[in-house]
Amino acid sequence: MGKPKVAFFKLSSCAGCQLSALNIEPILLDVLGVIDIRYFVMAKRENHGGPYDIGFVEGAVTSPRELEELKKIREECSVVVAMGTCACFGGIPSIKNFCGMTQKQIEAKVYTELWDIKSMPVYGIDYYIDVDYYLRGCPIDKNEYLILIKSLLKGINPLFRFHSVCNECILKENVCLLIHRKKACMGSVTASGCGALCTSLGRECEGCRGPASDCNAESLAEVFTKELGLSKADVARKFLKYAGNTPEFSKGVGHYEHY
Amino acid sequence: MEKYILPKSELAEYVNKLKKEYEIFGPVSKDNKYVFQSIEDPQDLRLEYDTTILPPKKYFHSPEQIMMEFSGIADSVQEKEPVGKRLLIGVHPCDVNAILSLDKVFLNTYSDPYYKELRENTIIIANNCTQPCKDGFCASFKTGPGIENGFDLALTDIGPKYVITVGSEKGKELAKGFDLADEKETALEKKTINDCLNNITRWIDDVDNIANFLHANFEHEVWMETKEECLACGACTTACPTCYCFAVKDMVELCLEKGQRTRVWDSCMFYEFSRVALDHVFMADRTSRIKQRIYHKLAYTKQQFDVLGCVGCGRCVGICLKNIDPVKIISRIREVPCVPQDPCIYNPQQKSVVDNHNPWLTEKAVIKAVKKITPDVNTYTFKFTSPNMKDYSFENGTYNMISIFGVGESPISISSSEEEKDTFDHTVRVVGNVTSALGKLHVGDIVGIRGPYGHGWPMEEMKGKNVLIIAGGIGLAPLRGVIKSIERNRDQYGRLEILYGSKIPESMLFTDEYGDWQKMPDTQLLLTVDCVGDNDDWKENIGVVTKLCDKITCSTENTIVLACGPDVMMKYVVAKMLKLGFKPNQVFVSLERRMGCGMKKCGNCHLGPVFVCQDGPVFRYSDIMNLPGGVF
Repeated sequence: MGKPKVAFFKLSSCAGCQLSALNIEPILLDVLGVIDIRYFVMAKRENHGGPYDIGFVEGAVTSPRELEELKKIREECSVVVAMGTCACFGGIPSIKNFCGMTQKQIEAKVYTELWDIKSMPVYGIDYYIDVDYYLRGCPIDKNEYLILIKSLLKGINPLFRFHSVCNECILKENVCLLIHRKKACMGSVTASGCGALCTSLGRECEGCRGPASDCNAESLAEVFTKELGLSKADVARKFLKYAGNTPEFSKGVGHYEHY
Repeated sequence: MEKYILPKSELAEYVNKLKKEYEIFGPVSKDNKYVFQSIEDPQDLRLEYDTTILPPKKYFHSPEQIMMEFSGIADSVQEKEPVGKRLLIGVHPCDVNAILSLDKVFLNTYSDPYYKELRENTIIIANNCTQPCKDGFCASFKTGPGIENGFDLALTDIGPKYVITVGSEKGKELAKGFDLADEKETALEKKTINDCLNNITRWIDDVDNIANFLHANFEHEVWMETKEECLACGACTTACPTCYCFAVKDMVELCLEKGQRTRVWDSCMFYEFSRVALDHVFMADRTSRIKQRIYHKLAYTKQQFDVLGCVGCGRCVGICLKNIDPVKIISRIREVPCVPQDPCIYNPQQKSVVDNHNPWLTEKAVIKAVKKITPDVNTYTFKFTSPNMKDYSFENGTYNMISIFGVGESPISISSSEEEKDTFDHTVRVVGNVTSALGKLHVGDIVGIRGPYGHGWPMEEMKGKNVLIIAGGIGLAPLRGVIKSIERNRDQYGRLEILYGSKIPESMLFTDEYGDWQKMPDTQLLLTVDCVGDNDDWKENIGVVTKLCDKITCSTENTIVLACGPDVMMKYVVAKMLKLGFKPNQVFVSLERRMGCGMKKCGNCHLGPVFVCQDGPVFRYSDIMNLPGGVF
């Protein structure tokens, strides 16, 4: 088999995940040696049409135009990878789903020229199409990206394990930010794989990688309100920031409705 | 034991002297907490520390241990600098006892070379506790505050000086030059430790009977309450000084040919801990994982290795966001215990294997033949390439770990008979990464194999008795060897009845061998499928395999029942057998679990106190029927 044909697509997102796929200088050329990037608007001047073997999709679907694009991507790519939290769960753009406004109101709040704006509630791409693999994170973890590429080349399942960030954090012997610094850290319900990046720098986990396996968001929400004294609205915002669309994190929000 | 005196003012000098010969690790402060770290400047040492974030087990059972390098189909132990001489200073008694527990796991049977090397090159200077730590409950297990054994030297802080106790020959060397402690000083040492003991308020009472007590309270409501609290983050097990479970994984370089096999700390609190192919998870429910952890710590380890699984260091309590605390759980149960039962504590049949080889290395085996059994099942005939393996033998029902380097390693049962010596078969269904990779191999290809592991079917006990074989799906594979052995020595066994069920006619295994089986004298073969298509020419039974049980003609006496299949099938088969009047000690079952090592180390295969990898995979049902939580 020759090198797999790879494409990178962008929907509603900040382009940080695509950038991460390039920000691997020490081995970037090695990666280019094993895959054939046919379409990557951020990185290449010459881009080629499908079909592709692997399609990395960054960003969430926020408009009908993007939905059409996404459906075409699914037709053109044998393997579709949701790249980054926006593509996996809706990510930051999905915050608008929970602000209690209609689409029209949201559009009017953001844009002045409304005649060409058509927006939809925001979901991860698997709301609309089948997704083969997920790279979580805001942005994606480069190591995980490489593991996925190697697994796809070998034709195996990478078998990512999404247990909580706490495990990676304690392996680095960090002092617990929640217990000892009273910071509202989401690490215990958030999927690991980032190497406890933020918490190792003293910043509480924001939950960007979405829910960990068997995550118990209600229990953490209780810690936030009872022990840290966060308001219910603050707790809700914590859980809605990146993956409010997921049933796991919406349990952390509870019955609170005005965010 | 000899006792010496070291004035505190001379500690730094002493550590500097030791540094010339040893790499020193000890407690230092980090953000108002403490961690064990390499000591550059003895002034950094904080021997007055309460507890550290991670226990010193990290110096013996590395969080990430590279076990071997592979290139293509060959594996080799990584060539690296030998471990230099190391010295741990300031280890609290609980942690020393925890290391003694880990010794049993890693050094007893299939001695682990990586742990062993690190352990043998490390001197331990213990540090007796002079005041209770916040969460500790070591006194319950007598693992603190004073240390009894397992150390080379032990320090006790008696104000301006340390009393040094010599615990080993090596320690004796290290204590040369110190003044002997006088009576007053040793008395003060004793008093200091005793005072500490008297100040400990956290206890688990009656730890000698804790296994029975927990067994009786398996369904206590405290477990459901804990489930609601628990975040399944696994911090408790990562911080635990006695937790040893690990996951094995292959990491390849971009060239895909070269890579490393590593093991990393794993946790029974993780959902994926017991995950196998097709995303089947054996401990999916959080309650079952919480119980597995607490029971393993307080009861199972004692049954498995005759050592303490919990040393009462209290790290799991201090690290838990929800303050889940074994002490509170036990006292909560003691308040309102379930009705006491007459417990049957599991006692595994021990099989100790001690050799000097690295048990992780595989032997190359070449595929001599591939036979397609069904569209997704193949039987591979293997032969070891090395002449050293000519004595390789196995019992029917045991398994090998098959390695496809760069993909992983899987336990696969042997499907040929133990009497065929030259080659052996594995019948494999394509389900996960390793089996898919196997499915792409051809005659002449080479894989890595280590084994055989575990206990097989009771071939000796079956002699002179009727044999009733009940299998479902791929579960016929580990029983094929039994049938073949009986075929060879037909006169040694009584009546043979084989009941085999499969989803559809096309997924039946070994159909071309049925003719031979049926030709055997005094033998009955009954087949059934769950469903048939319109075009199937199927003349046998339709329905689940238990339906065939009514056609059994073997008497309930003098018969051995062998069952293998999915858990749900076996649950009903065993129930049916007992209903028909077979005794639990006549029934043998072969269980499946996730297995990462096959050697009672990785812990992935735990079924309560049972290591399915070594205590099984074939069990006499009466041995396991009383496990807390049952079998199926």
